[in-house]
Amino acid sequence: MIDIVISANNLTKKFGNFIAVNNLSLEIKKGELFGLLGPNGSGKTTTIKMMTGQLKPTSGSVDVLGVDAIAQPIRVREIVGIIPEQESPPSFLTAEEYLHFVAKIRKLDNIEEKCDYWFDFLEFEDQRQILCKDLSRGTRQKLMFAQAFLHEPKLAFIDEPLINLDPIIQRKVKDYLLGYVKKGGTIFFSTHVLEIAEEICTQIAIIDKGKLLYQGRIKDLKKKRQTLENFFLKLVKE
Amino acid sequence: MFETLFGMVKEEWRIHSSLFGNFLFASFPLIILAFSFLLSFYTLNNIITLNKLLLIYHCIFILVGLSVGAFGILGREAMNRRFGHASLIAFSSRTLPLSEKFIFLNFFIKDLIYYFILWILPFVAGAYIAFTIKNVYVNFFVIIASIFMSFLASLSFSFFLSTIYIYSKKLVIAVIFSIILLSKYVFHYIEMLPSISFMLKPSLENLIYSLLISCLLSLTSVNLLKVDYAENKKRYKNMVISLEKFLRFSRYKDFIAKDFIDLNRSEGGLAKLIFSLILPTILIWFILSLNFIPFADFLIVFAIMLGAISSSTYNWITEFDVFSSYSFLPIKVSSIIKSKIATYSIINSLCFIILFIASIKAGLSNLIPSLMAFASVSSYVLAMNIYLTGLHPNILLYNSKILIQYLLLTSPILLILMFSSKSILFYFFVLAVLAIAYLIIKKSLEKWDKEEIVF
Repeated sequence: MIDIVISANNLTKKFGNFIAVNNLSLEIKKGELFGLLGPNGSGKTTTIKMMTGQLKPTSGSVDVLGVDAIAQPIRVREIVGIIPEQESPPSFLTAEEYLHFVAKIRKLDNIEEKCDYWFDFLEFEDQRQILCKDLSRGTRQKLMFAQAFLHEPKLAFIDEPLINLDPIIQRKVKDYLLGYVKKGGTIFFSTHVLEIAEEICTQIAIIDKGKLLYQGRIKDLKKKRQTLENFFLKLVKE
Repeated sequence: MFETLFGMVKEEWRIHSSLFGNFLFASFPLIILAFSFLLSFYTLNNIITLNKLLLIYHCIFILVGLSVGAFGILGREAMNRRFGHASLIAFSSRTLPLSEKFIFLNFFIKDLIYYFILWILPFVAGAYIAFTIKNVYVNFFVIIASIFMSFLASLSFSFFLSTIYIYSKKLVIAVIFSIILLSKYVFHYIEMLPSISFMLKPSLENLIYSLLISCLLSLTSVNLLKVDYAENKKRYKNMVISLEKFLRFSRYKDFIAKDFIDLNRSEGGLAKLIFSLILPTILIWFILSLNFIPFADFLIVFAIMLGAISSSTYNWITEFDVFSSYSFLPIKVSSIIKSKIATYSIINSLCFIILFIASIKAGLSNLIPSLMAFASVSSYVLAMNIYLTGLHPNILLYNSKILIQYLLLTSPILLILMFSSKSILFYFFVLAVLAIAYLIIKKSLEKWDKEEIVF
């Protein structure tokens, strides 16, 4: 049996007269590393926010791990991990205090152990006592990555996750994500960096101006000897 | 110089008008005008003489100046909070060949312009219209100049103290305690303040003295100002764990711990409370000691005013973070508001001590009713603040529509409690207001859980 972990039907979000997402329907199966691609302002972040109950759709429905994200937004955020587009941990907590704070909100046990693992894995142990506001953008992104996976969710939504990380940590994170989906986890990943999507995603969707232009498997593109970049540019320019 | 200043003025206008629309933001001064008109029209000669009323108006703007003037303590945070983290002129020293001091001086002047246009000018205009209708002659230009100078003097003084605080906390605390101890004498001679002297006896000498003192304090402060950037990577031990143990009585212990850490670690730390609560409290004590409300009980009126002032604590504790820091976590807006209410209650328990000290001076017999009045007003004003502004009082109270609602919903309650302070009905009103506050908070939590957060 194939598990559908995300099912979005005719999702639409309007801000006044502006349509950020227009009738978007997607189905994502368990174990996918799904990339939502699109130019800046195409509606990727709005889509993630609707799927995780941070924004209410103007119309349409979305189920995440069998939970209605519109009716039970808090429940959805309990069971998934989310890395927001802009890393915004509270300013005056240290990195360590922030992870501790998130762990408490998520009612986790063995907090120290879990925090230690992430400081060690993402190599920012020496930054744990620094205030979040004083961390570099890359370190803040590591911190946000750690908070999203602290409770070992089955599904994680990641908005532009690798943009500020150095190549060494980028490699580590990519390997982690690949291992994570191999173990049965699912990643919903939004980016406009096509090389990253081409390298790690199993399936992609391309949106522009809030509309879904394409959904398919990366290996199908490769079979057609198309690079993702050419395919994307052709599709978006049309 | 002027390009930067004009740019900042335009920027501030657009930030506010983009949130509420040009009309709602532009009509903010009209609300102030209407409020001042009504206040002046109904109190002048019925309750208070012209000179006392004008003295109170000076005190109000001294109060505003003291609160606004804590720039030195707030430093970069003041700019962050007012403007957000967007790429704004206030941050230009990072990318353009402009010094931080130059930018801050412009920021200071821009705030003076803004407070003059948004608050002082409409307030004085409203009072002036009321005086004219009542056939009381005052010189508009003398009043507005003197009130502006009072505002400028207190703003500069507060700015100066808060700047010095960064260098020597002990010195500033000593100065503030001296002011508290000598407050009786300080207020006795308040008419010697050049701005008030200027109002009573307009002379070039007083005008020059007043401006000179303010300029001297402000320029010294700008010169000594420290704007702390991220290069200072100070290390801190994990305080969340120890604070959580201390706060284990509350289910929101993690959030309360976070609020206290924010308050303590943000620039100026707990001294913010001195500037936003203690100093205004002293000034209110002075205003009330003018004995202009003979029909009301002094201590109870003081408690009511303290309750209203203490609600500003909610503005402080909601300024340190934005909901976007939590929106991706499994937490409701209502839970964060509840945690802020808990923090607010803990901080405001300080006011019970203030009231106890005040009652030693004003008479212990009214301590219990004054404590009740404080609890009732503080809860009610907080409830209204939460109902109308949620987690964004510092932004939404600039929306004139919300400000009108806020004033209309809070002022009558304060007046009813004041007027009934010597009657048996007072206890009934206090309990009724407390009950209403509880219901409003309950309703507010439902309301903000349904709202989409747009900030």
